Amino acid sequence: MEMILNFPCLCILLTMFSAIISSALNRRWARYLNTFVVTLVGILSAAVLMFTLTSGKSYVYQMGHFPAPFGNEIRFGSLEAGMALFFSVIMLLSLNGGREKIRMEIDPGKEKLYYIMINLLLSSLLALVYTNDIFTAYVFVEINTISACGMIVITEHGRTIEAATRYMIMSLLGSGLFLIGICILYDMTGHLLMEYLYTSISNIMAAGTYRIPMMVAIALIVVGLAIKSALFPFHAWLPDAYGYSTVSSAAMLSSLVSKGYIFLLIKLIYRVIGFEVFFGSRIINVLFVFGLAGMIMGSVSAIRENDIRRMISYSSVAQIGYIYMGFGLGTGAGMVASVFHILSHGATKSLLFVAAVGLTDASGGHKEFDELTGAAYRNRLAGAAFLVGALSMVGIPLFSGFISKLLFAQAAVQSQGKALAALVVLAVSTVLNAIYFMKTVIRIYTPTDKKYEVTAFGYKVSYAITLGCFILLNLLLGLFSQPITNWITQGLTILQ
Amino acid sequence: MNHILLFPIVFPILAGIMLLTVIKYQNRKPLLAYVGTVLGVNALWGLFAMFRVSEGVTVFYLTKSLPIYLKVDTVGRLFASLMVLVWLLGGLFSFEYMKHEKNEQRFYGFYLILYGVLFGLDFSGNLITLYLFYEFMTLTALPLVLHTQTKEAVMAGLKYLFYSFAGAYMALFGVFFIGRYAKTLEFTPGGVIDPSVFRENETLFFVVAMLMILGFSVKAGMFPMHAWLTAAHPAAPGPASAVLSGIIVKGGILALIRVVYEIIGVDFLRGSWVQQWWMILSLLTVFLGSLLAFREPVLKKRLAYSTVSQLSYILFGLSLFEVQAMTGSLLHIIAHVFIKVALFFTAAAIIYMTGCKRVEELRGVAKGMPVTMWCYTIVSLGLIGIPPTSGFISKWYLAEGALHTGIPVFSWLGPVILLLSALLTAGYLLPLSMRGFFPGEGYDAGRFAGKEPPLSMRVPLLIFAGLTLGIGLFPNVFTNILSAAADFLM
Amino acid sequence: MGGNLVQNYGEVVAMVLFGIGFTNLLLQKNMIKKIIGLNIMDTAVYLFLAEKGYITGHIAPIIKNGDFSPDTYINPVPSGLVLTGIVVSVSVTALMLSLTIRLYRRYHTLDLDEISTRLKKEGR
Repeated sequence: MEMILNFPCLCILLTMFSAIISSALNRRWARYLNTFVVTLVGILSAAVLMFTLTSGKSYVYQMGHFPAPFGNEIRFGSLEAGMALFFSVIMLLSLNGGREKIRMEIDPGKEKLYYIMINLLLSSLLALVYTNDIFTAYVFVEINTISACGMIVITEHGRTIEAATRYMIMSLLGSGLFLIGICILYDMTGHLLMEYLYTSISNIMAAGTYRIPMMVAIALIVVGLAIKSALFPFHAWLPDAYGYSTVSSAAMLSSLVSKGYIFLLIKLIYRVIGFEVFFGSRIINVLFVFGLAGMIMGSVSAIRENDIRRMISYSSVAQIGYIYMGFGLGTGAGMVASVFHILSHGATKSLLFVAAVGLTDASGGHKEFDELTGAAYRNRLAGAAFLVGALSMVGIPLFSGFISKLLFAQAAVQSQGKALAALVVLAVSTVLNAIYFMKTVIRIYTPTDKKYEVTAFGYKVSYAITLGCFILLNLLLGLFSQPITNWITQGLTILQ
Repeated sequence: MNHILLFPIVFPILAGIMLLTVIKYQNRKPLLAYVGTVLGVNALWGLFAMFRVSEGVTVFYLTKSLPIYLKVDTVGRLFASLMVLVWLLGGLFSFEYMKHEKNEQRFYGFYLILYGVLFGLDFSGNLITLYLFYEFMTLTALPLVLHTQTKEAVMAGLKYLFYSFAGAYMALFGVFFIGRYAKTLEFTPGGVIDPSVFRENETLFFVVAMLMILGFSVKAGMFPMHAWLTAAHPAAPGPASAVLSGIIVKGGILALIRVVYEIIGVDFLRGSWVQQWWMILSLLTVFLGSLLAFREPVLKKRLAYSTVSQLSYILFGLSLFEVQAMTGSLLHIIAHVFIKVALFFTAAAIIYMTGCKRVEELRGVAKGMPVTMWCYTIVSLGLIGIPPTSGFISKWYLAEGALHTGIPVFSWLGPVILLLSALLTAGYLLPLSMRGFFPGEGYDAGRFAGKEPPLSMRVPLLIFAGLTLGIGLFPNVFTNILSAAADFLM
Repeated sequence: MGGNLVQNYGEVVAMVLFGIGFTNLLLQKNMIKKIIGLNIMDTAVYLFLAEKGYITGHIAPIIKNGDFSPDTYINPVPSGLVLTGIVVSVSVTALMLSLTIRLYRRYHTLDLDEISTRLKKEGR
């Protein structure tokens, strides 16, 4: 019993140490260490998940010798453990899927730097998931940003450097707002640990003093995190960053990095700001409107794209819009739908990126649609995987995308006033999704006589296994959504 | 025990997937043997399953409140039996026809998968299961439309896809809202709407109902969403056009019957603006479809417009919410399936044997293809509604039903438009027969000599023509069953 | 309200600086100026924290004359936060500067928009 409680802390420390040690290893050993650590983190998180599911409580773990409210703490319940497991699984699969490309695209001297970045990314994600202290959250948010930047720029050509610069600028804007919000909050409450913040904030809101500063602080924190997770209209960096970096970076950026910030936001909403305060404020309307705008604009931009990776990236913009729309609905069901969509989108988007690289490699490295005609016949598994991902995005039943849309629609129907707008935009955006995804699917399945230099890439066993696991994950989320939804709901209640 | 319902769904899907991915036949004979065996075995099993099982089967739970649920009832049996017959005969026909198309194996693969999916659609017991199989039907029929991969086929396929998805999402929108009004999403005759919830939000309810009707009517080609049909059906290869016009569009009609009669419940919609607009749109389509068919020179496109028109006959009958009209609709579903499939088979046979696609090229065709053209003529008479064919019986019931309802304007307008359309139907179907049998002066006698299609193409035509006459001559057995079904649904 | 502003002029200045830094980071064309804006923004936060830590009349939190009562000293926590913030700010500035150098070496300009248009023309 006691041993398991140490696991979350152990995971974070393990990943950080492996990052440090990797700098002294050569690239082969850095790769092995990385794979080992990610797998180990996954196993440990699974154990914690089992444990917290059976006990149904959330545990507080003291970091260091000073007790609360002076010291630092980690807190974990079933939802956090599950998210940690999910992140490590996606990271493992993305790395496996892009392994060949890492070898091909990154200079051998820099490869171990890449693995250092990955380890740091995992440590920051774990810390964001588990932390109970708001300033620690800020520090790890910055670590997340820096390692993500490193992941983008590791393949060095003009596009990636420019993308990374844009990403950093946008991210730092968000961080600045987040930081000043935290400082104002600290100023008003005098606490940094989340539970104490919560009680202080409730007292302040009940007493009615400091209303405006409190609202301002909350707004700054929420907007800061929203900017960092590429909510429309702060998404300009996204297509370049996802479209031109190496494929495992793109998969991890889209599935993990933005989701880390969103999960932190969820934690803050439940554990710091408080459900009622957040839903009573105007900020959810702002999130709702921007979410809706993102859903439409993301899809519209995707339709106009000629490059498959950029099209998938714009689709990410739309999907993040869905998540914020779920926040904006202002009900518990909306939050459950958003968390489910984090899982569903994470699984599907990385699947699409990994499948797309198989298709482009089978077409001589070209990414434009003209060159991709018939790619599915040159690399059957990648084509099938892309088909599965596309069907999931479009919302065909049996896949995870349908369940997300269903949950969003059910949540929308329950909330008064916003139901119609949400449902209409949901329907329109799904039709738009269908347009560009099905067009691509038809194109890759149209046979052509052009010959391309087909590398043996697509037929490597590890790539095939990765795609298979991704497809399984997608089907799992689509078919067995009920236990997952139950777990999310239970997790959210004990999040508080 | 009840799980045998799953077999006719899963078996052909697996067989089709294997055909698409794993198995590669070099010669035609083993391929045809494979396809034929699967079709036959599945037909037997499917018929056995649907006539033996009477309770529902919950396959699994998609979410806590949404089970995938299969249940067979009279309407389901009707649609499934029709589908099995068409699929078997269509398979037989395509064994010969596909000789002159490429990529046969791919065609048969999707043909088999679609077979299984359609069983699933006909056996659906609740709204979510219906939606699931409906979407899969759209997706697996797409490769059949795209089969020839010409530019025309690809454009048609994209149009089909876009319209179908737009329609499905309109319907899905409705499904989400209905969840609030309905006690359960299982199909129950008379509907599942909670009257108290209905009274709170009447306008919204009607809007939702209209959206669902419009959404599913896209598949049935009701104006103004018919454009995909006239592009997709001609672009597909012959047997595929036949099954598209014969069975796939009936998927939309099945969905409409389920949703309007067994989820929403006609009592809520009777007399509302939803019913009125449905009647208006369907009558408009009846007339417009016939008119456009009349003016169309390409044979397959003419038949596609005819489908648009004829389906709206069925929709009109459904919109009247009256037992006799409903019986007429159900009967017309049967009649239309046989007739339209036969018509498309004729067109396919003509294209296969002579390569001619336009009506004006076909003077004197009956001299060379007598059996084909006799079947064509018989089923045409059926479509026009001349006794003693099945079409006559169904149109009679439709007209009588319309007159019985006593709805102002529509009760007489309906039969009038049906009559006008029948005249137009004669105008667009009979010239081919007439010019075929009596070509007059100066035609190319040698052109069609000896072009009678082989037996495997003639047999389906003969069977369908025979059935059309048969139902027309002995209607009572069918009308009794269908009246009972219609009564049960209301 | 006016009285409050004058009394807390330190925080006010901090907020104004924050706004200046934020706007610079967002709107400046020149990369170096953006980075300067970033630094101004972060420094403003430190100023804010430092102001908040200070309690009038108290001294720095170093134990003097064996006096352990908390009423003698200012709040030590914000100083810790400022230190952490400075570390983050420095690393991020270093990263941004290195990216700027690389961009400059390739494109000989510090204007990010111009680099984008050039990349679009290159068609990569």
